[in-house]
Amino acid sequence: MAKLKPFTMPKWGIEMSEGTVAEWMVAENAPFTKGTVLTLIETDKITNEVEAEADGRFVKLIAKPGDTVQVGALLAVLSDGGEASQAEIDALIAGFVQADTSFTGDDATPAPAPAPTPPPPPVPAAPPIPDGVAISPAARAQAQAAGVDVSAIHGSGRGGRITAQDVDQAARPDTAPKLVGSFPSSPSDGPYASPMARRLSVLHDVALDGLSGTGPKGRIRKADVLAAVDARTPVPSASPAPAPSAAPVPAPVASGDVDVLPMSSMRRTIARRLTEAKQIIPHFYVRRRVRADRLLALRSAAQGKRPSVNDYLVKACGLALMEVPAVNVQVHGHEIHRFGRADIAVAVATEKGLVTPIVTGAEGRSVADISVVMAALAQRARAGQLKAEEFTGGSFSLSNLGGFGVEQFDAIINPPQGAILAVGTARPEPIDDDGAIRIVPVLHLSLSCDHRAIDGADGGRFMAALANLLEHPELL
Amino acid sequence: MAVMNIREAITRTLAAEMERDESIIVLGEDVVGGAGTAGGQEAIGGIWGTTPGLFAKFGPDRVIDTPISESAIVGAAAGAALAGKRPVAELMFADFVGVSLDQLWNQMGKFRYMFGGKTRCPAVVRLIYGAGMNAAAQHSQSVYAMMTAMPGLKTVLPTTPADAKGLLTEALRGDDPVMFFEHKALYGVKGEVPDGDHRQRFGEARMVREGGDVTIVTCGRMVSFSEKACDKLNADGIGVDLIDLRTTSPLDEEAILDSVEQTGRLVVVDESPPRCSLASDIASIVAAKAFSSLKAPPQMVTGPHAPIPFARELERAWVPSPGKIENAVRQALAYR
Amino acid sequence: MQMSRDELIGAYRRMATIRQFEMRLHDEIKSGEIAGFTHLYCGQEAAAVGVCDHLDDDDYIVSTHRGHGHCIAKGCDVKGMMKEIYGRRDGLCKGRGGSMHIADLSKGMLGANGIVGAGAPQAVGAALSAKLDRKGKVAIAFSGDGACNQGTTFEAMNMAVVLKVPAIFVFENNHYSEHTGVDYAVGTNRDIASRAEAFGMKAWRANGCDYFDTYSTMRELLDHVRGGGGPAAIELDTERFYGHFEGDPQRYRGPGELDRLWAERDCLKNFRARVGEGGLLDLAELDRVDAEVSQLIDEATSEARAAPPPDPAHVAEDVYVEY
Repeated sequence: MAKLKPFTMPKWGIEMSEGTVAEWMVAENAPFTKGTVLTLIETDKITNEVEAEADGRFVKLIAKPGDTVQVGALLAVLSDGGEASQAEIDALIAGFVQADTSFTGDDATPAPAPAPTPPPPPVPAAPPIPDGVAISPAARAQAQAAGVDVSAIHGSGRGGRITAQDVDQAARPDTAPKLVGSFPSSPSDGPYASPMARRLSVLHDVALDGLSGTGPKGRIRKADVLAAVDARTPVPSASPAPAPSAAPVPAPVASGDVDVLPMSSMRRTIARRLTEAKQIIPHFYVRRRVRADRLLALRSAAQGKRPSVNDYLVKACGLALMEVPAVNVQVHGHEIHRFGRADIAVAVATEKGLVTPIVTGAEGRSVADISVVMAALAQRARAGQLKAEEFTGGSFSLSNLGGFGVEQFDAIINPPQGAILAVGTARPEPIDDDGAIRIVPVLHLSLSCDHRAIDGADGGRFMAALANLLEHPELL
Repeated sequence: MAVMNIREAITRTLAAEMERDESIIVLGEDVVGGAGTAGGQEAIGGIWGTTPGLFAKFGPDRVIDTPISESAIVGAAAGAALAGKRPVAELMFADFVGVSLDQLWNQMGKFRYMFGGKTRCPAVVRLIYGAGMNAAAQHSQSVYAMMTAMPGLKTVLPTTPADAKGLLTEALRGDDPVMFFEHKALYGVKGEVPDGDHRQRFGEARMVREGGDVTIVTCGRMVSFSEKACDKLNADGIGVDLIDLRTTSPLDEEAILDSVEQTGRLVVVDESPPRCSLASDIASIVAAKAFSSLKAPPQMVTGPHAPIPFARELERAWVPSPGKIENAVRQALAYR
Repeated sequence: MQMSRDELIGAYRRMATIRQFEMRLHDEIKSGEIAGFTHLYCGQEAAAVGVCDHLDDDDYIVSTHRGHGHCIAKGCDVKGMMKEIYGRRDGLCKGRGGSMHIADLSKGMLGANGIVGAGAPQAVGAALSAKLDRKGKVAIAFSGDGACNQGTTFEAMNMAVVLKVPAIFVFENNHYSEHTGVDYAVGTNRDIASRAEAFGMKAWRANGCDYFDTYSTMRELLDHVRGGGGPAAIELDTERFYGHFEGDPQRYRGPGELDRLWAERDCLKNFRARVGEGGLLDLAELDRVDAEVSQLIDEATSEARAAPPPDPAHVAEDVYVEY
């Protein structure tokens, strides 16, 4: 009986991965002797003859001339001499398994993620840490203090040792990352510039060609582009202030007839709280003008649904509060409660009166995200569908009457918060731009502070941080 | 623009530069092949097929087959460079750096400094590196971190045909010793290559993808793996700044820090064991200089602290994969 | 020199095992199932067996990237080797090393090596250990005509002489270092033994395609070394029947070169002719050995194919003895 063997695509050289059968030089079932040229195989580098290593015949030619196949693929069925039955041939073909000859390591299947650390039980039901658990001293103390069950933690240290960071992570609730998403790719050619400089040049429409770089070998850096943005003569019409036209102007009260309206319970609450606030809280005010040309340009360049100016303000306040935590406070009797994240109450006018839904963790959200969240909150506020937790608490308030054409105003603090920012509309105004007088849209900001908790310097620092962010909105 | 693969880009650049500058010589094991055999010269043109045709064109004085003597190959390149030539020495496998290390480490990389800035040593050493061929522990390593660590050596890792041309041209026109790393698995990568003179500056990273959530810093074959991970991540709305370093020495620190200052999250992908690696180097730079921007600990995707194994299943487990990179990005985002 | 009938059959069996092992790999590699680089020893069988037949498990050898023959000649388990080359969990080195890194310390086989020239200094160290143990053991470095050009080999030879250790440098000159000819690459007019002599040791030359010549010359050499004569060297003139690695297109070969080598320089054919001519052995007996070896290789191959792969979870184990 004939002995059958697979005849496969050979591998020549170290890195051949596929080859093309150029031609079969022997016919099916024609006997050949050792040394006969059987086929011509082409690769991207060479064409080679494959010689018979022993006498035999092909009982089945499978690959057709012109077929390009992987190294190791079945090209034909080789017999050591005699003919073979169809069943034998079929059995060999069916049993043939082509080996994987590709470069290894290129699999896109995610490796199994380390088991997520389940959130620990809420309160100090800290199970004792058994002896022999590898854990750092600080982690041990932290786990006991915070009531974290370390048995559920997969330690990230050597040999699975639990670190303080592991305990700290396990003690925190899950967070969903707030995503910025992809950017369009910046051009890679043109002048010598850092990647961030290229990105900013597109964002601000600054030509890199004209810039001289201050980096090594004249490389244009981020700072060079930002300087060029600063120095650019603004074109007022290019960034118009939001049109105030839609704002309803309050009608003057007609003389004679007076409508007497009983206060709704909501109105009464507002009245009581603000009276208390104005009577009890020693307000002081910090005011600052902020150029808004870049902010408005950035906004008009935004893709998709544009965030409102207010959305940028929420983000900017969030970041500024992180920089100046002294302003991110609530006042409770003789205690000042300072917060690690910026939960910003945003005043929304509704038919029933003022409501202040809260954008939580504003510092960590993208502007686009704030925009979505804010739109949903405002819509539900107007429909009276806010849940209590959506408008109580908060570490700071923002009130924006810019939409009504208001230039500037001062707001009353919303207790127990320590401060509120009042924002007017952006109006073209002259500014001193490094010696040059320019006319650009300018925002008037007024920060009301509770002097019991916040000093003038804190307010000033906060306004400086806020102004810096709004004037360099790419930081948002 | 012509479309070619990295192997062709290297061959053509060598030929073009040798044409332009007759001080360039090529030497190494089997760069021609067949010396002293019945089959005759040009038997192979480099086992990676990167030097075919050079011998026919430039002759035995400039295209030189050597005995298997890596220390002498690299040392001769160092000496020839001191004496006015521009040698291109090939180490068939980057792992053979071990045999020739003194000539690289104590000699080539230190001449200029030791001799008070009076010498130039414009040698290019081509090192063929990387895992993926089941070539086991002594033929698969990526030793670029070691070369990066040596002051005086420049370390270059092209990932596209255009960069292969641009970086090799820059290496051959510059006056410093350059460790030119070619990944085995990348030779077949095709792409457009600019015609004519094309130089790619050292120390200028390439932004492969742009996005605001996570920064991936990597080099070599791991760039394409990271791109695959980015495809999956982008689909979930996760934007990635993917930085191909192109050269690890000099290092484009600015590109890294600018990006991390924006994203706050760093993932370094490095085809080597984790200790004293490129990954640990980049992570330490970011931790030291962008600490205030970090929202999560830097993640390092590397092989384990083990030599590279032979069996397919083991090598696959050793090498960072697109899946592992994707996971690391998600880990960085999940940090709370 | 005398050899028993059993010794003769044993020598033939070891050479035939190497031959069939390598020819089977040459075939199997075409399927692509065997990963990595494989360098076959086919053609050089008489060298490995002619040297190792004088050794026992306590003598040391260090090998090269072309190491399968040395392993088999030194007594490594053929099935374990096949599994290793297939990258299997139960391979001699757990699938971590593969073809280029097979070792079995229990057989005095200190390891094949992927770095040309890395072995010779290690043999000096093993010989130093043997010298200190005073049990008459020796250490052998197999090197090729490629490795003879590495500085490590030169340093090792000199140091062996200086330390007067029982190290033996076996140079298997198969006339090709990778794709380059020995006429070009070995400056001493393709003569490697003279280099060893220049370092101050006694050197021999033998026909590495002739088991009897290799075996008897090695006997003389070992008498010298074991008698306290210090290190020694032997250059074996031999042939590589396949390429540098499997897949090598071998364009450096002359026309008809391989046919001539198989016809004239086949050590197994030579062995059969010699024992047949002298009526030392019944050739039918060697045929039986061939059949037994063939069955062993069949089993080794099918068992290796079916063997389980390594567990990726163990990728970072065995880096250290103690962590």
